[in-house]
Amino acid sequence: MFSKLLIANRGEIAVRVIRACKEMGVQTVAVYSQADREALHVSLADESICIGPAPAQLSYLHQDALLSAALATGCKAVHPGYGFLSENADFADACEQNGLRFIGPSGQTIRQMGNKDAAKRTVAAAGVPTIPGREDLEDVNEARKAAEQVGFPLLIKARSGGGGRGIRRVDRVEEFDHAFREAAQEAKACFGDPGLYIEKLLEHVKHVEVQVLCDQHGHILCFGERDCSMQRRRQKLVEESPCAQLTAAQRRTLMRYARQAVRAFKYEGVGTLEFLLDEGGNPYFMEMNTRLQVEHPVTEMVSGVDLVKWQIRVAAGVPLPFQQKDVEGRGHAIECRINAEDPQQDFRPSGGRIELLHAPGGPWVRFDTALYQGYELPLHYDSLIAKVIVHAPTREEAIRKMHAALCETVIEGVDHTASFQTELLNEPAFLDGSYTTDYLSAREGSL
Amino acid sequence: MISKDLFRRPNLPLESVGREPGRDAQPEVKCPGCSRSLPQDELAGNLHVCPRCRHYHKMSARARIAMMLDEGSFEELDAAVVSRDPLRFPDYRRKLDEAALQSGEAEGVVTGLGRVDGLRCGFFVMEPGFMMGSMGAAVGEKITRLFERALRERLPVLGYTLSGGARVQEGILSLMQMAKVSGAVRAHSDAGLFYLAVLCDPTTGGVAASFAMQADIILAEPGALIGFAGPRVIEQTTRQTLPEGFQRAEFQLAHGFVGRLSPRESQRALVSLLLRMHAGGAA
Repeated sequence: MFSKLLIANRGEIAVRVIRACKEMGVQTVAVYSQADREALHVSLADESICIGPAPAQLSYLHQDALLSAALATGCKAVHPGYGFLSENADFADACEQNGLRFIGPSGQTIRQMGNKDAAKRTVAAAGVPTIPGREDLEDVNEARKAAEQVGFPLLIKARSGGGGRGIRRVDRVEEFDHAFREAAQEAKACFGDPGLYIEKLLEHVKHVEVQVLCDQHGHILCFGERDCSMQRRRQKLVEESPCAQLTAAQRRTLMRYARQAVRAFKYEGVGTLEFLLDEGGNPYFMEMNTRLQVEHPVTEMVSGVDLVKWQIRVAAGVPLPFQQKDVEGRGHAIECRINAEDPQQDFRPSGGRIELLHAPGGPWVRFDTALYQGYELPLHYDSLIAKVIVHAPTREEAIRKMHAALCETVIEGVDHTASFQTELLNEPAFLDGSYTTDYLSAREGSL
Repeated sequence: MISKDLFRRPNLPLESVGREPGRDAQPEVKCPGCSRSLPQDELAGNLHVCPRCRHYHKMSARARIAMMLDEGSFEELDAAVVSRDPLRFPDYRRKLDEAALQSGEAEGVVTGLGRVDGLRCGFFVMEPGFMMGSMGAAVGEKITRLFERALRERLPVLGYTLSGGARVQEGILSLMQMAKVSGAVRAHSDAGLFYLAVLCDPTTGGVAASFAMQADIILAEPGALIGFAGPRVIEQTTRQTLPEGFQRAEFQLAHGFVGRLSPRESQRALVSLLLRMHAGGAA
């Protein structure tokens, strides 16, 4: 096992990793920016090192500072948490070049996943369905034929695009030629490349993801799925496992695809495969996250496996002692992400001093946070301040438990989303599990 | 506003599983079969067979001795017999030094006497780390002397062949070993004594064309390349594409050059059984 590990992150995930290390007897080194001197992870770790000023570019994203801190303190490994440098292939390479084990897949694998198109082609070749579409279209007649095969509605997107530019929605074939020419012109003007591709537009979809854990010995575990469809502007607010709408047969199919995809990538470590589920429950691979995720506790609760500890152990070469059937999960778990944002004011980020803090408790209630009473919450970073996670034998009981736990959660001094989430739990679409990723935007539109 | 000393430190002992990078890290081996890295210890613990893809990694002579012979029973012979560059072949001396450093052996074969499940035998095993077990005058001499000794003591011989063939740096002197060893094998055989060979990857060239194929019973390890000229040479010479698995142990078994494949897990039991069956009244 690694005798000493540097946590290249902050907030609740840094605390989560430090806790795992403490239990494993691994010495921990925390890093912090000047804005985080008073942060909980700084005092929890065995050693802590200031790596720069408040802006993340100068501290938590500053690779040289992180590597220097790790080497100066004699660390053997670096845990990147999520966000920041967790999916940065160059950082993973730099760690390995300096004799530090990067807790995650190799730089090469991260790079491979980072190229979303190439990743999709790889899984498609492994027999996993991806969103239907056609690439590299320039001629309008050829494109129209391709569009008719793919089916409407569809999206026309720029091959070299980004940031939403050059995207056209087409509902009927009669609109296609016009939209295609327009998109090509815009793509040429914006990106200097008129090349387009089309993709079937999937509406009312669920965002369902599969947690995987792979050791260095080719052993792959697919944990149950998480339904992360309760999103606001692509930010997940509530996650649950299992997905209430998935039938046993659909789940088996999803797990089979996840396994095929992971095998195609020769993956190592923890990772998450994201799928879209259409209204018929058919999964389409979107992308793979090559890191620990915010919502990993949901899976920990239903599987009973400490994913962070196993992530570290697998990086140290330990073979997984579990079989697939050991990790398929019992009961139902829900997580609410409490963000320091004001739901009354369009979720504007909120900072300030935590005047009063009361954590929810009781059996199968988990509260992951880096807050403490008197803590001055800086505004420089992600607004996630706490995660409430509950576990119960049935979904209905889990919803009740979450409801009670949120009501018991008191965080005074900053605005946060806990009451908003309490309301969400009562929504019919949440209660019957039918909510899709567009649910919250539709709800906001109707309010 | 919390003090650094607020929390007590649990001071739990470090988990003993896994390893860490750095000086004391376990050396790793990349498996040519599945191109994954695995710790050397784990590979050694599995008889040098990849636990994932079952690829047979090459085993050093000493590892074979540990695998096959009763503990402490091995008595090495002629350890001081080494090649001396009789032809003053360019760069040969340096290569010999390098090979010795790399393998920890003085020559491409280790010979001696030992016991398999209590049964005494002459034993030779070729060393892949020493110029891929290539046969020079010293290798030929050591094996010849082993057969002569086994003949005097009326012992069976168990031999592990692994060789790229004759040692080019010794030219004709190297080729002559084929005849010399063959003579010793013949004398041993004529006396009614048993010779069991296990062909390992690779057994080629002058070794395949002499004593490897002269055993009374020829076993081969799965996947081992066995042949005279290698597949690349044949392909380039004949300009023909060779069939899949050409010259592999399985191919040679199907074509009658090998008696049986012997997986490593069951090899000791099989060898022990064969030695016992051919021991006459000695066992």
